[in-house]
Amino acid sequence: MSIMTGNQSQMHRSPLRHSLLARTAIAALALAALAGSASAEEPSITAVLTSSEAAVGQAVQLQIQVKGDRNVPPPAEISVDGLEIHSTGQMQSFEMRNFNMTSSVTFNYTILPLRAGRFVIPPQIIRVGGNSLRTPELTLNITDSANQSSGSNRATEAADPKKSTFAELIVPKTSAYVGEMIPIVVRVGFEIQTRVRNIPPELDLPGQGFTKQKMRASEARQVIGGKTYEVVTYKTAIAAVRTGAIEIGPVEVPAVILVPQSQRNRFPQNPLGMNDPLDSFFNDPWLMGSVPREIKLTTERVNIEVKALPPNAPPTFSGAVGNFTMTADGNPKSVQVGDPITVTAKISGRGNFDRVAGPSFEDEHGWHKYPPSADFKQDDDVGISGIKTFETVLSPNERKDRIPAQLFTYFDSLKEQYVTLRGDPIPVRVEGGAAPLATPPAAAAVTASAPAASPAAVPKQQDILHQLTDLPAAPQSFTPLFARGSFWFAQLVPLLALLGYVGWKIRQAHLDNREAQRREALQHEATELKRSLHRNDASPQEYFSRASRAVQLKTALAKNLDPNTVDAEVAASAFRADEETRRRLRHLFEKSDEVRYSGSGQNGIRLVPPEARNEVLDLIESLRE
Amino acid sequence: MKERTNLFWVSVTLITLGCATASSARGDQNPAFAKANQDYSEGHFQEAVNGYQKLVGAGQWSANLFYDLGNAWFRLGNFGEAILNYERALALDPHHPEAAANLALVRDEARALELRRTALDRYVEAGTSTQYSIAASIAFWAALFGAARLFFSHRRSAALLSLIIFSTVVFAGSVFALYSLETGGKSGALAIVTGKDIQARLATADNASSVLALPPGSEIKVLSQRGDWLYAALPNDLRGWIPANAAQRVRM
Repeated sequence: MSIMTGNQSQMHRSPLRHSLLARTAIAALALAALAGSASAEEPSITAVLTSSEAAVGQAVQLQIQVKGDRNVPPPAEISVDGLEIHSTGQMQSFEMRNFNMTSSVTFNYTILPLRAGRFVIPPQIIRVGGNSLRTPELTLNITDSANQSSGSNRATEAADPKKSTFAELIVPKTSAYVGEMIPIVVRVGFEIQTRVRNIPPELDLPGQGFTKQKMRASEARQVIGGKTYEVVTYKTAIAAVRTGAIEIGPVEVPAVILVPQSQRNRFPQNPLGMNDPLDSFFNDPWLMGSVPREIKLTTERVNIEVKALPPNAPPTFSGAVGNFTMTADGNPKSVQVGDPITVTAKISGRGNFDRVAGPSFEDEHGWHKYPPSADFKQDDDVGISGIKTFETVLSPNERKDRIPAQLFTYFDSLKEQYVTLRGDPIPVRVEGGAAPLATPPAAAAVTASAPAASPAAVPKQQDILHQLTDLPAAPQSFTPLFARGSFWFAQLVPLLALLGYVGWKIRQAHLDNREAQRREALQHEATELKRSLHRNDASPQEYFSRASRAVQLKTALAKNLDPNTVDAEVAASAFRADEETRRRLRHLFEKSDEVRYSGSGQNGIRLVPPEARNEVLDLIESLRE
Repeated sequence: MKERTNLFWVSVTLITLGCATASSARGDQNPAFAKANQDYSEGHFQEAVNGYQKLVGAGQWSANLFYDLGNAWFRLGNFGEAILNYERALALDPHHPEAAANLALVRDEARALELRRTALDRYVEAGTSTQYSIAASIAFWAALFGAARLFFSHRRSAALLSLIIFSTVVFAGSVFALYSLETGGKSGALAIVTGKDIQARLATADNASSVLALPPGSEIKVLSQRGDWLYAALPNDLRGWIPANAAQRVRM
């Protein structure tokens, strides 16, 4: 979708039309809806001349286009001595492609040369938002009108005020060189009252002997000779491919216009010949009913004399014709031998950029150069003005302190001679590797067997090493060890070992717990027995049985034994008892056995005498480790 | 006595079987490999390439096989394939001295571009994936056993705590090194340009703008694939699309 609105200085004098209101309303709605997305675009600026050469008195158009913002103040008045520069208005454009909205403002100027010479139109600065945009410097070469050989060809069918349409083919030169880009403009105008229903969006330029592209239409409203026209402009650029005369055109532009079925049935012609708004309104074909009519607008033919390029072109000439400048830079600035350095060369200007090849290097010795990549960014509609950027990767084979200068040759059609641009050498620092060799590689190979004096002078291997005849026992795998099943399977070994260790430790803790419970029970029993031995309430049989049991428990607790396995000897040994204590222990156990098995312990005595009880208690207390 | 005699014969049988297996797996006994080597030595390099590739197709992968195949491709003047097979030999055996020497020579000859490596990459590449895997495994289990011992012991041992911390650090470092290896310049995404006159482009079209000219043998890192095109990280920190049939991954 493309919406264009004109804002010519004379526009407010055009008659008020109903349809114009409708168009303006639609455009305003579209502007309001799309203003948000348009404002987000990165602003940029271009400035283009319709021709970089002209004759005295021959007008040249200057367009300054600002993209990305519509609220742009016009540039300050452009003043160049020898040129008369007038603003012819501004034009706003909104374009939507793939839902991407772009807006632009174009400031149009007409330049009328007053004298011959080379004029420079200085850069214009326009503030957009918080940025200052700067146009490129433009050069305009003006030749004397008396002897100019490349003046403009303007093949016009009619820009006649009496006619309601016109078509013209504008070719700015009558002679050119092979390969030189020639901008071509076809303009078709319809008076504002004419309703155009259909007009081709693209045109083909008839003729042979030149390269051509489809011409795309752009639309604007202009005032010519006091009348307002809807002007459709088709632009392209051609390049002659052979010498001799070539013919361009005539260009035929088919169009469909709406013609009212009948006119002025109700309102007669204004006898005073004045523009009456009501008259225009009621004669509007949209209201009165109209029929489409096909018309064909035809321009005249234009001839161009094509000259061959001069012989003896420099070897660095690749066919570029026009006017160019070149800048170059390289990055990184500090590398090791063999590392890549990207050298960027920007060739800007006006000409046949399709023939602009990457610049060559003045001295490539010691460098390895890779094919460059190219990117072209055009500044105009037809691709004859812009910047072509070449990125060349260089790899130093030895130590270097600068990248050699780059050379670019083109043919200047104005000066009619070949021009070679030479960039400055770019300082870099290349380290490592061998020092720069004065001898060729073959000579280095001969001296390679000499003993090396330093690591930097170590000779390089000249041929690959021998074949190997051994194969390993088993095929190898590219799969990393950690990604193989065998690796994870092997982890089962430490995993099982860990689980075994943990299980063993848990079981050991469990067993320790059971032993503690057993000791607790024995301790409890020993305490109870000791308490009962102090009491005088048991028969001798029962008392001595308890006393021997108390000795067994005490011994078992001290030596971690089973109490049932403890006898007098074991108890005496456990406590390292002396002979007396050992005898008393033996006596205690014998007494216990005696009263338990023979029943002789009673003898009518019902209780143990206090002396005997104290003796037993002393014996048990005396058992200490 | 009888048991000792049986044990002796079992041992003899096992040793004999082991030696026989090892001997039969040696390359000098592999007739196809020997034939390819003979073709190479007689100057029949294309036949040698065919012979080596048959072994590769049969899965008999080894560093020496890829090294020999790289040599044969070099003799045929195909630097891209030669560099690819030297890289494969080094992927299988990172300390293969002959492959490393020949790779350096052929790269120099072919002017092949290499992916830029950071200082960290160079440090990490001092070890191999296998070494880092084993180190990580040992450190992991040492840390776990130490932790279990610490859990069941009644007193805190400084030596045990030191062992656990050291093992954990070694484990983390090994895992990080493995991750760096698997995502860095020597990862499974590493591929070698084997086609000639290859241009990396901005889009998947032959007429798209060129990003970088890639001589045969240049390294790229494949980021994704779309149809017949690979999106790859290029030397000099650029990215672009190249035809899928113009490059081969190092790891098969």
